[in-house]
Amino acid sequence: MLGLDYSWLADPAYQRWLLIGVVNTLKLAALSSSAAILIGMLGALGFTLRIFWLDALIELFVEVFRNTPPLLQMLFAYFTLSTLGLRVTDPSTGLSVPLLSAFACAAISLSLFGGALAIEAFRSGIETMPRSIVDAARSLGYGRWARFWRIEAPIATRICLPGLTNILTNLFKTTSQASVITVPELMYYAGQIYNDTFRTLEVMILVLLIYVALVSILTLAMARLEAFMAFPGYGRGL
Amino acid sequence: MAGFKRMMGASALALATFFVAGAALAGTLDNVKARGKLIVGVKNDYVPYGYLNDKGEVVGFEVSLAKYVAKELLGSEDKIELVPVIAANRIDFLTAGRIDAIFATLGVTTERAKVIDFTTEYVSAAGPSVLMAKESTISKWEELKGKSVCGIQGSYYNKKMTEEFGITLVAFKTQPEAYRALKDNRCIGFVFDDMTLQQKLKEPDWASYKIAVAPYEFQPMAGGLRKDDAEFREAVDKAIDKAEAEGKLIAWETEFGMPHSDYIAARAKAAAAKKN
Repeated sequence: MLGLDYSWLADPAYQRWLLIGVVNTLKLAALSSSAAILIGMLGALGFTLRIFWLDALIELFVEVFRNTPPLLQMLFAYFTLSTLGLRVTDPSTGLSVPLLSAFACAAISLSLFGGALAIEAFRSGIETMPRSIVDAARSLGYGRWARFWRIEAPIATRICLPGLTNILTNLFKTTSQASVITVPELMYYAGQIYNDTFRTLEVMILVLLIYVALVSILTLAMARLEAFMAFPGYGRGL
Repeated sequence: MAGFKRMMGASALALATFFVAGAALAGTLDNVKARGKLIVGVKNDYVPYGYLNDKGEVVGFEVSLAKYVAKELLGSEDKIELVPVIAANRIDFLTAGRIDAIFATLGVTTERAKVIDFTTEYVSAAGPSVLMAKESTISKWEELKGKSVCGIQGSYYNKKMTEEFGITLVAFKTQPEAYRALKDNRCIGFVFDDMTLQQKLKEPDWASYKIAVAPYEFQPMAGGLRKDDAEFREAVDKAIDKAEAEGKLIAWETEFGMPHSDYIAARAKAAAAKKN
């Protein structure tokens, strides 16, 4: 009906490009999601310690990385850090080259951006926890650490899972911006393919479907996790 | 009432345009002469062929050529209307009758020859070349195999770079990013249109760089005309031949800061010889 022409998909070069693109997108998403969750946990843990200067530090981190566009963070990491002196000497050529590769810049920016959002998600989980549970744990003689690991963390995790799913899906889609700093992910190659073939609509439809499929796997997995972890009184638990 | 009149005027103009477009098939030359004006599609964003100067005027190598053609056809180089076109719309503008000719970095291809006629070829436009530091010893495309080379996303030759030459292409969205990355040593060179890189080399910042790898292809460039209008094509070709014989194209190369090409020099020589 639309006269779609997918004959370009027969070209082995384009097949390989799409495959490399998907692999790089997955790598970037997996790496930055794991790091974001880790940062989120550490940050939320930091908040529970109620140390004045640590609170201020985490707050500053969250404000800086949550309130700036990830695209800007990537460009900053890619172009500005190396200009500021984050360079090494390449032993094979003797030239001074930037320390961070394009992929590293993208992974770090996405991790920090996702991490800042995750800290807030985890913190909201901890803070919405009924005071009575904490009091009950105290009266049972739980210490600070035991209380965090055995009571607060398990309940907070369950409370913040839906919010975390949102953050991770957003982070997955934000990987497409890494093409700006030359990370050869899916959008990087998609652009080149439709510039070569003029089949913009066809390429866009295909890339859209690939993203829908990949992100759906993530959201389904998160839904399963949510169902698996559910316990009476919270979220999907009855 | 004035509004109505204007509207009628506009309709009449639209109608006239329609007929002109139709009549164009009969003979663009007669039309141009009757109108007293040659309407040409040119670039206004492509140094040195057609671009805006400091005063906001459209100038450039092909703009000068178009004005010369207008002078030959109508007696004055001011009897011209320059219509800015881009690659995506120039052929439509021509076939729809909105312009009489294209002088806008139009490469001669067999695909296009099915739709339009070309004038005599007047420039041999270089394809991509590679800008590298002066110390570099690389001089061939094959030697770039496995090396990181900066480029621009969407360039038509990118596939050739990666698939044929085995280059690890680091492609950016815009030129300034690629130049920055080259200076940062993120790549050993920058592959881009030779003409643009030649212009860049003139900037003091780039004195320690050179065109290390020469273009692997040259594409002839010509004016574009509507199909099967021999009378008009001969008139335009005659004007271009005359400009070549007078050494005008070489003078325009100088005027617009282009490196002197053997191609244009050879054509000038041939045209001059033919005339005598």
